[in-house]
Amino acid sequence: MSWLCWFLLVPLLFLGEGLLREVGLPPLDTAALLCLFLALFARASALPGLVLGAALGRALVDDACLPVQVLVLAVPVALLLPLRTLFFRQRWLWQGAAAAFAALAIPKLAGLCGTLFDQPSAGAELDGVRVAVAAVGLPPLLLLLRRVPPLQPFTEAMP
Amino acid sequence: MRTRASSAFPVGLYGVMLLALCALALPRSFAPIERLLLGAASMPLRAFAAVAGVPASADSGMAAAVQSLQQRLAVRVHAQVTAGGKRLLASQVSPLVCAVVAGERKGGGGLPCELRLQRCYRDLRDCLPLVTSGDALVGFLARPGEGPAARDRDTDPALVLLLNHPDAHAVAAQLQLDGGNAPLHLVVEAAAAVDPAPLRTALWDDPYRASRLQQGGLEVRSAALPAAPWACFVPDGLLLGHARVWGYTHAGATLTIGVYVDAPFDSRALSHVALWRADDELPGAPVPATGSVPAVLWPLPGGDAGRSHLTASLLRPLPDGAAVVQDGICFGTVRALAFGQGLVTSFAASRRRWALLLLPDDGEQPPQELVGEVAFQDHGTACVRLSGSSLPQKGYLFTGSNGLCCPPGLLLGRAEPDADSGLLRVVAHQLSGPSAVEVVVPAEDHL
Repeated sequence: MSWLCWFLLVPLLFLGEGLLREVGLPPLDTAALLCLFLALFARASALPGLVLGAALGRALVDDACLPVQVLVLAVPVALLLPLRTLFFRQRWLWQGAAAAFAALAIPKLAGLCGTLFDQPSAGAELDGVRVAVAAVGLPPLLLLLRRVPPLQPFTEAMP
Repeated sequence: MRTRASSAFPVGLYGVMLLALCALALPRSFAPIERLLLGAASMPLRAFAAVAGVPASADSGMAAAVQSLQQRLAVRVHAQVTAGGKRLLASQVSPLVCAVVAGERKGGGGLPCELRLQRCYRDLRDCLPLVTSGDALVGFLARPGEGPAARDRDTDPALVLLLNHPDAHAVAAQLQLDGGNAPLHLVVEAAAAVDPAPLRTALWDDPYRASRLQQGGLEVRSAALPAAPWACFVPDGLLLGHARVWGYTHAGATLTIGVYVDAPFDSRALSHVALWRADDELPGAPVPATGSVPAVLWPLPGGDAGRSHLTASLLRPLPDGAAVVQDGICFGTVRALAFGQGLVTSFAASRRRWALLLLPDDGEQPPQELVGEVAFQDHGTACVRLSGSSLPQKGYLFTGSNGLCCPPGLLLGRAEPDADSGLLRVVAHQLSGPSAVEVVVPAEDHL
């Protein structure tokens, strides 16, 4: 049930990002939000499926193909994952830095994959405002979202 | 402990990344899986579309204006493509203008060396093997079942081998020298993919004078050699390209080590070519290469991102890269998903390379074939960066040859050059809300 919820609701999160933009709210980076969750809070054993669900969602709003979306999301997660022990508790500064890293890395990786695999997409454009909003806004937002589905069932229990 | 170990070395995550790399290496094998997964993820959108009903299709009032523009484009393309060829070819032949749907396979100079035409071999069986554009020789029409077209059937889109194709005929040529000097005779043939130009030269009649060439840009034209059986069908005077002298320059002098030939057209941008048939042959009714299927386009939230969800018949698989059209206006191309769905990226939001065709406002100017990609969009205006050509005049921008299902001649928008940024600004038509559209599909899928 939790997996069904993940695969149904995560794509809608990406669509919700567009909806928020339409009503004039600051640009929220759903991909960076999910990266942050997967790297710092998600159950490591569930990561492959969680990354796939997130990639499916991003493929709805971005032109590049699904394998590129998987790489774009999985690489920052793989890089941040070993640092999980440092970031596990609510250390806002570290989480903000990780969110900014994800918001920077995702468009850069999208650009690199677009060049290497001939999969150009508008998601490769870096937006400074987006990075700043990610650094400031994503950690508190994630604190809320981790308590509700679809993120809550996959949140790793605190030791 | 286990958590720490899996955090430090997430095998499952690495496995997914490896699988993604495999999918990128073998895209055709993984495409059905991707369609299925994305189709399943899009099912809530399809369900929403089913509940929301079908938008009423009203006459936008644009159809007549777009049709008029398309007719103007067709007339001027015909005049441009056939000009010169008629003068140089025998008087008993008449031109048949064919749209190009795709450029395939890299050949000499790393450029496409094969073109697929919108017409099938059966339509063109009475044509001469020569393919021209203006006074330029483009290449040779392949025969189904032979050479590079060995697997093609009579009803497949015809294949044209450009001069930079490894299997294309070498052409006897002459290089016109300035200052009243006698022309040099040579043979022009396909260069290698790593060469700096698509064509190279060989067998000069006067190698000494050829080695003294100091400047490029000289015209290279075909020379009829009636004695050579393979060359007899190439008439005199067709433009093959312009010479490019390759060598070392020192103190104003060039030590020539090779002469290449740059084609007079960009093979990535070619949208129409001329074939030639005897006047007494009546052209048969052409077999339509494409048709269209109805669909409904639902813009996804964040409309400035230019993404839409498309729903069509459940039983009809859509082709990837097909144009989404309303009243002759192309909104973008579709990525096909399972269960009769697709994801559409508008022209302005796309970052892929487009072959384009510009109809200048100045009626004296010929249509221009361009290649470019959208650098960014600015409030619905697509800013297109052109490759290999200077900024054109203002006019209307149409699709060029972007695949069988995105044929030349679909209106993209009004284009104006921006000299400051060096970009072509294209005001594309925007859809507001759900819209009834058509998706271009191959003819066999046409209802």
